[in-house]
Amino acid sequence: MKSSLFFKKMRNISRLLVVAMLTTVGFSAVAQDGDAANGESLFNNNCKACHSAKDEVVVGPGLKDIQKRRDLAWLVKWVKNPNGVIQSGDEYAVALYNKFNKAQMTAFPAFGETEVKDIVAYIEKANTAVAAAPAAAGATAAAGGVAAESSDLFTYILVALLLVMLLVLGVLLAIVSILSKAVSGEVGAGDGGSFGDKLRNGLVAMSKNSAIRSATVWFFVLMVTKATLDGLYGVGIQQGYAPKQPIAFSHKLHAGQYKIDCNYCHTGVNRGKSATIPSANICMNCHGVIKKESPEIQKIYSAIEENKPIQWVRVHNLPDLAYFNHAQHVNVGGLQCQQCHGEIQTMEVVQQRSTLTMGWCIDCHRKTDVNTKENAYYDKLVQLHAEKSDKPLKVADIGGLECSKCHY
Amino acid sequence: MKKINTLIAGTFAVVAALSSCQRGHDDAGLEYAPNMYNSVGYEPYTQIEKNPINADGKNMREPVAGTVSRRNYKTQFDSSSVDLMIYHIGKDELATAEAVLKNPVPNTAKTLAEGKALYGRYCQHCHGETGAGDGPVADMYKGVPNYKADAYLNMNDGHIFHVITHGKGRMWAHGSQVTPEERWKIAHYIHKLQKG
Repeated sequence: MKSSLFFKKMRNISRLLVVAMLTTVGFSAVAQDGDAANGESLFNNNCKACHSAKDEVVVGPGLKDIQKRRDLAWLVKWVKNPNGVIQSGDEYAVALYNKFNKAQMTAFPAFGETEVKDIVAYIEKANTAVAAAPAAAGATAAAGGVAAESSDLFTYILVALLLVMLLVLGVLLAIVSILSKAVSGEVGAGDGGSFGDKLRNGLVAMSKNSAIRSATVWFFVLMVTKATLDGLYGVGIQQGYAPKQPIAFSHKLHAGQYKIDCNYCHTGVNRGKSATIPSANICMNCHGVIKKESPEIQKIYSAIEENKPIQWVRVHNLPDLAYFNHAQHVNVGGLQCQQCHGEIQTMEVVQQRSTLTMGWCIDCHRKTDVNTKENAYYDKLVQLHAEKSDKPLKVADIGGLECSKCHY
Repeated sequence: MKKINTLIAGTFAVVAALSSCQRGHDDAGLEYAPNMYNSVGYEPYTQIEKNPINADGKNMREPVAGTVSRRNYKTQFDSSSVDLMIYHIGKDELATAEAVLKNPVPNTAKTLAEGKALYGRYCQHCHGETGAGDGPVADMYKGVPNYKADAYLNMNDGHIFHVITHGKGRMWAHGSQVTPEERWKIAHYIHKLQKG
């Protein structure tokens, strides 16, 4: 028993030794052959889009240990003309082609033995450098601490605010007691009583004074009137409306972090009245590949499978009596989306930022200069306008305030 | 005395109640005469109730089967007038597109400027500002090529037009978003990026 165990151990150790020797031999052999620095730039320019130098699959297979899997002659043949190798019936090539959903690799006819050797040398170098990577992980861990600190900071601010408010309360109470003394004219009145008694005496004395009484009543009457009027003016204004949508789509992620242009999805914004809500095929341009498993994205998949439109909730809604055209404002007027819609690229849930009232429209039409530069359409208008006024041509001057432009 | 105290307390309560009436984000607020908000005519993207005329209850109707969109019928470019007709070269016939197609849009400074703007709208987030395949989405998406790489350096107009229309490899079809005219302009701008 014991002896067999010993032999097993010995065998394992010798195996390890052989593997270690082989790898060093392999490394040194290629390192002599290929120029890893040149390989790196070749790899980054031509291969990186689809292949990882490690063993993960990006589009095509990871290239780690490629020199062990395939010999150089095969690699050169493959890189020069992958389709030819597949057509020739090469077993490995056909299996590879089928494994990756029959997606064919781009041919690089200009690549010869030197280029392939350089790239292989770089791939090996990249994999030997992996061991050094864990040291860098410490830095990322430190970054996590910053987030925790900022939430602590928030608590400190809250506590500080609370203290300030308590101080203000104290000062107010002091003022009340001083005022009450002044009003009642009895300096030192109720000195002997408790704080509650003092306060009550002070308030009673104040309420007896008719000037203070009527001032208070008027103050509140005005406040109530203002609140009522504000409330009435707010009827029909949906500013701040941010309804929950059927799919938790984040503009902050798509337009903010990934900087996808608004036009990419809202394709109608330069062409027509409506900016258009993207159809599911536009979502699929990315999500046919990215994050397919997410439950929110699965909702798009099921909408496509059932052939039912996604019922987004309309956020910005102009009354039927007013006409608005996106193309006129974005394409002709050159406005940025954010001017009316706010900082959409920071919104997790889209919110109506502007009031969309008539006053708001008119205000902008009065203030905005028309961009007449290098546009023959405006030449005569500018000339006529210049005869009457020395101010620049505004939207209001070319009919931007005419009723029938928007109401008809 | 008591009356005044009650009056003051009462007003406080009313003001507090009114000012706390801020509506939640899910509430569109009060609408005066909602029938003036909700269009009687059929508006795109607005549907309040089920449509009794269309069988599926939607206001929108799908085009008649077999309808072909000809978005650039009789399109004019500087001096020449070209009909950008229907594009009927199939997805798998990239080689045909490369051999047959010619860019009808004249390559001028204006075209390049328009091409750049269109590239910014439809391509840049993946393909990157310089076409190096380093846009912000590319890290996540993977497999975005560098236009300056050997395999892509000599793509011709037909190739670019075909790939925008039908997609290639991991890239999906963008024909529904980008009109034929816009695709030709983008092709001009991509040649500029290839040269660097």
